[in-house]
Amino acid sequence: MYKHANEALAKAKSLKELLRAKDELTQKTGYYFGIEVLGLKEEDPIKFERFYSEIHNLALRARESARFVAASPGGREMGESLWSICTPEGDTLANSLGFSTHMVAYDTCIRFMIDNDYEENPGINDGDIFSTDDGKTGGAPHPGDTYSYMPVFAEGEIVGWAVAVNHIMEAGAPIAGSWPGFSVDTSMDGLVFPPMKVGENRTPARWWEQLWKSRTRAGVFNVLDDKMRLAGNVIIADGIKEIVREYGLDYYKRAIREVIEDSRRAIKENIRTSCVPGKFDGATFRVVKYKGLSKLWPHADKDFMLHTKMTLNVNSDATILGDMTGTSKWDYCAFNGYPGGADIAFYLPITGNFVHNTKMTSGLFYDVKSYYPKGSTYNPDTDYAAFSNIWAQSMAMGALHWNAITRSMFAKGYLEECLSVEGDWAGIQGGGTLANDQNYGFTNFEQVGGVAQGAYPYRDGSPVTWAMWTQLTNIGNVEEWEYLIPPFFYLGRRLVKDFCGHGKYRGGIGLSSIHWVVQPGKDLYVSRGGAGTSQTTHVALGQAGGYPAPNSWYLAVRNSNLNDKIKGGMPYPRSADEILDYLAEEKITAQDVQIFKYDPPQLKMKDGDVFSDASGAGGGWGDPLERNAQSVIKDLNEGWVSEKIALTCYGVVARKETSDNEVRYLLDEPATQKAREDKRNARLRCQSVKDWWENERKKVAKKELIEPVKYMYNSSFSTQDGDSFKQNFIDFWQLENNYDLN
Amino acid sequence: MEKMEVSKELVKKLLDGVISDQEVLRLLNSYKDEDRFQKYMELLQERVPWKDEILLRLSEHIYVVRKSSGERISKCSCGHEFGDYRVNWKLNCLINVRRTIQEMSEVYSPEPACPEPDWQEIREFFCPNCGTQLAVEVLPPGYPVQFEFLPDIDGFYRDQLGSPLPDADQYKYEDKSLELIKSWAKEG
Repeated sequence: MYKHANEALAKAKSLKELLRAKDELTQKTGYYFGIEVLGLKEEDPIKFERFYSEIHNLALRARESARFVAASPGGREMGESLWSICTPEGDTLANSLGFSTHMVAYDTCIRFMIDNDYEENPGINDGDIFSTDDGKTGGAPHPGDTYSYMPVFAEGEIVGWAVAVNHIMEAGAPIAGSWPGFSVDTSMDGLVFPPMKVGENRTPARWWEQLWKSRTRAGVFNVLDDKMRLAGNVIIADGIKEIVREYGLDYYKRAIREVIEDSRRAIKENIRTSCVPGKFDGATFRVVKYKGLSKLWPHADKDFMLHTKMTLNVNSDATILGDMTGTSKWDYCAFNGYPGGADIAFYLPITGNFVHNTKMTSGLFYDVKSYYPKGSTYNPDTDYAAFSNIWAQSMAMGALHWNAITRSMFAKGYLEECLSVEGDWAGIQGGGTLANDQNYGFTNFEQVGGVAQGAYPYRDGSPVTWAMWTQLTNIGNVEEWEYLIPPFFYLGRRLVKDFCGHGKYRGGIGLSSIHWVVQPGKDLYVSRGGAGTSQTTHVALGQAGGYPAPNSWYLAVRNSNLNDKIKGGMPYPRSADEILDYLAEEKITAQDVQIFKYDPPQLKMKDGDVFSDASGAGGGWGDPLERNAQSVIKDLNEGWVSEKIALTCYGVVARKETSDNEVRYLLDEPATQKAREDKRNARLRCQSVKDWWENERKKVAKKELIEPVKYMYNSSFSTQDGDSFKQNFIDFWQLENNYDLN
Repeated sequence: MEKMEVSKELVKKLLDGVISDQEVLRLLNSYKDEDRFQKYMELLQERVPWKDEILLRLSEHIYVVRKSSGERISKCSCGHEFGDYRVNWKLNCLINVRRTIQEMSEVYSPEPACPEPDWQEIREFFCPNCGTQLAVEVLPPGYPVQFEFLPDIDGFYRDQLGSPLPDADQYKYEDKSLELIKSWAKEG
């Protein structure tokens, strides 16, 4: 259509023409928008960088101002918000702080609006407000993430988009909260809407505000967040007009594309510098326990397991392809997603590892690609698949990518960048009716704001310091959550002994809180939105002989004597593991104690009941028997590991010494040396993999697997590319070609 | 960002886990030193108790080496040889599988943190010579053993280091694990 970018930028008469020109020129030349020469940068690099700093400043300023204009506590306090600036055709130029890979979604949404002639109907005009939270058309990972778009005009033409996204407090689904864990198809995902014009002249429509109030349980908070997103977008739109006035329209149009091409080159160079090419296998599993939850949807009345498989190809030309062939078929559950939303997780290691010396733009998407087979969890061959909590396992997919990159960088010698990556987040959510008939819904983002970091090849991971999805690690103030969620009070918040992936260097310890229900009024229902559950580990492969991190587990204690104990001034537990100890020692008694290694269903809670989580553990690195024995003793003395794990996992024998009523552990060196020798000798007596394979093969041939596991394999065999995973399975076990698991 | 001179001594501290947090921060905040791989290889070669030339380090204890015969194999730091580096070295390990809660709770704790038996099993892979735990998999029963890292060694030396290996034409970049498995099936 056009021979080069400048011609397209001068002559394109519509967004559709611009988008086609960008696609064609990028495809034809291998350079973004066909920009082979960074003319503006070369001509005056200082001006170019000054221009960009003004653009970037707008995005940063939008976030830091808007969240104090109007926002829910979740929008204000946590890193779950982002403002960005896009080209007219949907590529990102600059981001604020926050969950930056959300920018992958913008391309999906803006492309959808352009392809579907939004320029004609409903029209794209100066001051318009568009919004979406849809996965298929808007690229949203799940309906809790709500995006606002404002077209930016200067000198009478559209020059870009101001975009904002934040995770709202309540999504309006049958299950209250913002990650409904039980959703059979998308009609149960909550308030889902494709890209829609929801306001003009920078003013939201009246019906839009009413929609939030009518169709979600946190209408006031959600309207506040909508205003927050709008306020930031207005700051950006006004700022861009000023920048165009200062630099000129032609400079602006060319420079924003050069910025993207410049960062694309930098990211490619960083991949080349940091990585050893190769092929990396990875897998992760996610339990779905829907059996018995409802008889209304018999097709969803089942327990099974989702499988995410990733083969990451780091190529010697510094391109990367993440191939998800082998991943489960989409299913009647909450945990599907669409490619745009899935990519938000897939690209996390790229922003985490390769954008350190360049600009965070869409330049990172051009040499790193994902592939989701048609029909799979992340690319359903239907418009009706539920996607209310794609994050249930897509964060683990991001961790597979990141762990593969870690292996690649470890081989190159950049050990400082390497860690055992996990992303087990969790949120407690629910809804209720207060004594005064006030209805409300809520989400506690505590364990979304920060989790433990996995171990490095040279030091332990630290607790509650990291989140692979944001730079703004912050689990929030207890007091903030307490006033936000009327009947929920913290009895305690504490790290859980032993709760990590163990290794020569151990992962950061996971966190537990106890939520104590006080005077809930008429009713209160609680559930959990989160990543994995402890029935499976977060990722299937540990690093270098270390154990992958355990996933989350939950505890509900109802109809107990806890309130009496508290009133009597007795000690009370501070974390999930302490509740178990208190129950075992009969320091508290309860009629109803439930431990969940899977998503708890929505639970009715009454005054004095408690709900407790244990989540966000980090993975280990290396053989636990190589851990410095004194480090294990230190962990014992600080309460991070138990005597049992010290012995059974680390082969460390400790003796206790009491002085001034304080118990101290000391290393028993001879006993430790013997224990470790014994363990090593026991390992050397283990069977060979070949012998194991022969025995296992017989079991697989006889289909001696439980039904949910068979279901998982059959599901993975049945996507568009499932045959290749099936062949891999048949080849590995040397089975007949007509083998099946039915 | 600064361009930082990274000494061999600093890389050694990183390898030994005695590097300070401040030094790590400087490494993380700097442009990558392009000769790190050479320093890394020198340090590793000085440490191993054998003479074979290290081509790549795959994991804490697993190396791809070129033997004096010219053969490229994967090898444990203790000297145990796993064979052709394109065959998943895990297939030539010893293995322990934890299937019950009792077995799992020796390495995952507290008990609710344990993976669920029958849904998952824990596979521990050991070097047959030194007994070091080289890898852990937590997978559903029946799941094929995972090949964590098949390196494109020749692509790396050619395209990234700019010094192609002389025997590149003898080693196609391909997964040859299936050949070993087929031989097991024939023996059985």
